[in-house]
Amino acid sequence: MTPRLRQPPVRSAVPASLAAALAEICGPDGVVLEEDRLLAYESDGLTAYRHRPGAVALPRSTEQVQQVVRAVADHGLPLVPRGAGTGLSGGALALNGAVVLGTARMNRILKVDPENRRAVLQPGVINAELSTAVAPHGLYYAPDPSSQTACTIGGNVAENSGGPHCLKHGVTSRWVTGLTVVLPDGSTATLGGRGRQSQGYDLTGLFVGSEGCFGIAVEIEVALLPVAEGVRTLLAVFDRLEDAGQAVSDVVGAGLLPAAMEIVDGPTIRAVEASVYAAGYPVDAEAALVVEFDGVEAGLDRQAERAVELCRRAGARETKMARSEADRVALWKGRKKAFGAMGRIAPDLLVQDSTVPRTKLPEVLKGIAETAERYDLVVANVFHAGDGNLHPNILFDRRDPDQLAKVEKASKEIMQLCMDVGGTITGEHGVGLDKKHHMHLVCGPDELDVLWGVRRAFDPDGRMNPGKVLPDETEPEVAGAEPPPALPAARVRPRGSQASVLGLFPAERVMVGDAARKWCGGFPAQAVVFPESVEEVQEAMREANRAGVSVVPAGCGSWLRAGGWGHEADVAISTVRLNGVRHYEPAELTLTAGAGLRWDALTAAADANGQWLPVDSPGSREGTLGALVAAGASGSLRGLYGAVRDNVLGVEVVSGDGRALRFGGRVVKNVAGYDVVKLLAGSRGSLGVATEVSVRLYPRPEAAATLLFHDATIARAAKTARSVCAGSAPVAAVEVVQADGGAAGGGGRAWADGRTATAVRIVGGREEVDDLCDRVAALVGAEPAKAIVGAASHAFHEERTRWEDGAPFVARIAVLPSLLARALDRAGRVAALLDDGELCADAAGGVARVKGSPRSEAPDDLVHLLGRLCAELHSWGGSLSFSQVPPGLASRLESSKADPTLPGRLKALFDPHSVLSPRCP
Amino acid sequence: MTTSATALAHAVEEQERGLATCVHCGFCLPACPTYRRLGDEADSPRGRLYLMQAVVEGRLTADSDAFQTHLSRCLGCRACEPVCPSGVAYGHLLELARHVAVDARRPPPLARLLLHVFAKSWLARPALLAARLLRAVGLPALFARLGPSSGGAPGPLRLGMAMLAASAPFRPPASSKPAPGRTPSSSEVQPSHPSGPSRPTATAPAPPSPTTVAVLAGCVQAGLFSHVNRATVRVLEANGCRVLPMPGQGCCGALHAHAGDLAAARALARRNVAAFEAAGVDHLAMNASGCGAAVASYGSLLAGDPAFAERAAAVAARAVDVSELLARQGGPAPGGPVPLVATCDAPCHLLHAQGVDAAAETLLAGVPELELVPLQNAAECCGGAGLYGLSQRELGSQIGSDKVQAVLATGANAVVTANPGCMMQIGAGLRLAGRPLPVFHPVELLAESYRRA
Repeated sequence: MTPRLRQPPVRSAVPASLAAALAEICGPDGVVLEEDRLLAYESDGLTAYRHRPGAVALPRSTEQVQQVVRAVADHGLPLVPRGAGTGLSGGALALNGAVVLGTARMNRILKVDPENRRAVLQPGVINAELSTAVAPHGLYYAPDPSSQTACTIGGNVAENSGGPHCLKHGVTSRWVTGLTVVLPDGSTATLGGRGRQSQGYDLTGLFVGSEGCFGIAVEIEVALLPVAEGVRTLLAVFDRLEDAGQAVSDVVGAGLLPAAMEIVDGPTIRAVEASVYAAGYPVDAEAALVVEFDGVEAGLDRQAERAVELCRRAGARETKMARSEADRVALWKGRKKAFGAMGRIAPDLLVQDSTVPRTKLPEVLKGIAETAERYDLVVANVFHAGDGNLHPNILFDRRDPDQLAKVEKASKEIMQLCMDVGGTITGEHGVGLDKKHHMHLVCGPDELDVLWGVRRAFDPDGRMNPGKVLPDETEPEVAGAEPPPALPAARVRPRGSQASVLGLFPAERVMVGDAARKWCGGFPAQAVVFPESVEEVQEAMREANRAGVSVVPAGCGSWLRAGGWGHEADVAISTVRLNGVRHYEPAELTLTAGAGLRWDALTAAADANGQWLPVDSPGSREGTLGALVAAGASGSLRGLYGAVRDNVLGVEVVSGDGRALRFGGRVVKNVAGYDVVKLLAGSRGSLGVATEVSVRLYPRPEAAATLLFHDATIARAAKTARSVCAGSAPVAAVEVVQADGGAAGGGGRAWADGRTATAVRIVGGREEVDDLCDRVAALVGAEPAKAIVGAASHAFHEERTRWEDGAPFVARIAVLPSLLARALDRAGRVAALLDDGELCADAAGGVARVKGSPRSEAPDDLVHLLGRLCAELHSWGGSLSFSQVPPGLASRLESSKADPTLPGRLKALFDPHSVLSPRCP
Repeated sequence: MTTSATALAHAVEEQERGLATCVHCGFCLPACPTYRRLGDEADSPRGRLYLMQAVVEGRLTADSDAFQTHLSRCLGCRACEPVCPSGVAYGHLLELARHVAVDARRPPPLARLLLHVFAKSWLARPALLAARLLRAVGLPALFARLGPSSGGAPGPLRLGMAMLAASAPFRPPASSKPAPGRTPSSSEVQPSHPSGPSRPTATAPAPPSPTTVAVLAGCVQAGLFSHVNRATVRVLEANGCRVLPMPGQGCCGALHAHAGDLAAARALARRNVAAFEAAGVDHLAMNASGCGAAVASYGSLLAGDPAFAERAAAVAARAVDVSELLARQGGPAPGGPVPLVATCDAPCHLLHAQGVDAAAETLLAGVPELELVPLQNAAECCGGAGLYGLSQRELGSQIGSDKVQAVLATGANAVVTANPGCMMQIGAGLRLAGRPLPVFHPVELLAESYRRA
């Protein structure tokens, strides 16, 4: 309850009717209307700009947000969401008298679900306070922006915030699993997405990082992480900044994966040491590198010692390990409060946020120093060095106009410098107002068109946060006139002939008739073409549009039979000849390759450098990189390493209408523009043909083991599996493997001796794996029936990815992990209606799968059961999807009940003539 | 520009030159009790600094509603200072800004009257005597319990009566050992009989040349909490200090400074500086953290007075909270058992303004049978904040009732805090909530412990 306060008399800047409406909705103390009082809202964390809003509304509930949104829209005014106003890109500034919707009063934690390690929050909850609130459950919220003691989760969602520990744990989008949003028309929508393993476009992933342009997140579901049992924090002091940058590259290149690696440079050290957050950094040093490892206690010392050795070799003059928690906290405080401490060096500062490939750090740091010198400015660097996210702080005094001009020039040069080495303009602060004019550096006109389109799909009238993110001059003229058309559910198009498309290719790169059908694994495509360049893909798509030919994107044809790819196509465009590794610098842990690169080739390239792409999606081993991204399905490793979409950094795609578009890049943190990569991942070829993909790689773990525990029944196995998941041992994956079908081979069945088993996958350092094996056995209360170690463990799981191969029917039931037993029970009922029915489950992820052969084309009992199951799952917050389904059955299964408007609009942006099959996933 | 506005402009300028400028990072927002409750940027430290800056820049007038409203809503708890990475001296700027605000618009008559009374000892003494008489009759306690309740914030009269009732001295339960598994209930805590100072029975071995100390008696402290002052003397003596009188001392001026009446505050400060010098002691022991913070800032308060600047800084350096003084001597001497379950609230002006953490806990850690239970949000302001209850009834009452709820949630049967304003605010809140737990100053419990040794 907020007390009702006597308010000063109102001289409002917005129309009196709006002022009255807002006061009615939020209460008289929940609005700020008087111009003088609105002064305080002129700036957010970036003081370079001042824009006074027309009014501020401080709603408390979802309903109030809806009413505010409608009232403001009725008056034709724009609306700007604001959290704590700590943003550094001017994203929360109200241009042209817009109304600010502040979320400070929406600060309730609605639900904490320790069993499933989730929480549901209102947007005004402060980041650090979420972690404090869930600490009694041994959990915390991983993304830790440096402003975490003040910034709100809603703001984090808007900006897709990062933080020091995102090096290992990933940015906000990885941890947001569901959103309820108020759209610009005042309606609410619950967005699904890959976070919850639901089907359809990843609208949650797309919304995260939308900088308040798509709507207002009013309920945010996040995943939580168990607090690491051990932490080692070390400080290495350097006399040269470049040496510190080199040390970072060396540590990553050596296969270590610290939780965080941060560099604080000389000027920053001196500011921090003069502040209340003095951390004991030597003030005469030019760089302090903080490296932190977290995880299982066993083996942490060895990792830290190795890092110390590498730092010394790179030229560290001194290294020290935090000896106590107090040491560690002080050390981090110095880093985290560095931005504020800059106030001790100069009255104003402009903080940059470029991300560059890690190996370019020394070069870029040198360039920044030279630029600073040339303009006679002080640039203090403090940055997330592990992921190449630089924060050069340009210090100045705004009262000196001469200096102001220099700052502008230097800032632009530094940004260009970062772009030149393959970086991006913003890694975590967002584009906002500050960097919208630099969007041209990362996006061409076609990409900007798509970004505008995505924005208009959510906000047809341009009501939300106008004047941010995208350059004003690129705004489509017809904005606001009419919403982009959603495609009709049924495609109506004249049936053309594929001959003109095939004619673009030499005969040896065209396959027709039975050969084509066979190549597609039975998928009914009339022909397959094999382009060798992006231009050829574009030409084929353009011709398909002209001739009205339907197209299905393909890799090597192995996945086309799976459900969701449509039921037929005139032409399959295969990218197998676009299969070169374009860029792979092991120390950067990123790989860029043609979409047609096969899994084996990818693995071989990474393996040669002790790295891997930790993705175990079903069917991925026979397929291509492009297909992996298009399918977007994840296996059980997603818990430890993130889902497929979290590890895709950039995609080049030829859209349905033949434009070659690039989104994302090859840096691990990138928030320049809306996150279209998330939309593309899992879009199942409905938006375009992926031609190039950049992924994030990881050091291959030193050791691995898989423990198999036998159980008599599936229900008991589910219990065993859940007990391991709920325990304190951080294992990589827990699966339930069933094998009473009796048929031979496939999916690791042979390893399980033909019995129902719980397979616990453990990866990590040698000591860590040994320790975890013991702890898992203790959790289960029994010795494993079998321990598969080393390369054999890996082989076991490789085999597991083939579990779906050859099955005519595969269904996935995704639920909250605590409901695993129930999901397996329902899967069992489905299996009972199948020949050779078999189950398996990812216990930590809450996914049960069932495969087998339907007893006829589309048996009534199965259709009926699946229909009921779908409704039942919906009521549990789960979902049912099909990775393989016979065409006859597919046509009888109910399609998704989700509102098709938004997906339809998004599809239309890429594929306006609906050439690509399917229409929507 | 008025002189006060020039002073504020000067101070802002000084901060910028001293490179302790607000970079608008927002780290102070969650620390601010008013922002937490209102969610309005203008009711946050960052927002208030922005408004001050706007006044300095001439974009906002000092008599504007915005400036007046949001500055008067500030508790002055200074919880924003320790979390500020730029080291902005918020409390100092606030006093100057309030001076500007008061210059531009006169504060309400009741506040003016109270400040006037405390500024003149010939007015303050009889007023406090009357209050003590009223308290002795038991009327305030009755009124707090039975007075008209509108459901929302209590009226000024009822709040005032409850505060007065809460200032009464209490004595912890006498039974030396509670029955197993049972803690004494609040009903067993009886008001003690006002009695003269008793000699401490536990006396630490006196050092060869004992530290000489004077105690700042304060105005409210001397008038309503003389028992705390007596306990302070007892505790200091029990720990080997020689306590000497400091004639000529008076109100520290904190209330005046916080309310923007810097002229009165400076006059009071000069008087105390002279009194301290005349007393010729090593330290000025403080037992009211509001006064402690005020005396600690005498240096900056009188910086513009050439005759007093240095002398004021010297006094500020010698002023030390009693807990800190004992801590420097290796902690308080041991005493007898005080069977009580208590929870400690940290006064803002001790924790945030003087950086003295866990003062009460430090003093009481060694007292046998005294169990200290942690208080949720102990570092947050209780809402007392000088005359806040008068100027911001609704907000003050809500902040106060949050503190009361937190206290009740601990299950403790007594509250410990080291500032008369906080003692009255929390005590009044408990009374108004119908749960009149006693509120002690830590030295009271320590003195009691020595009495029982």
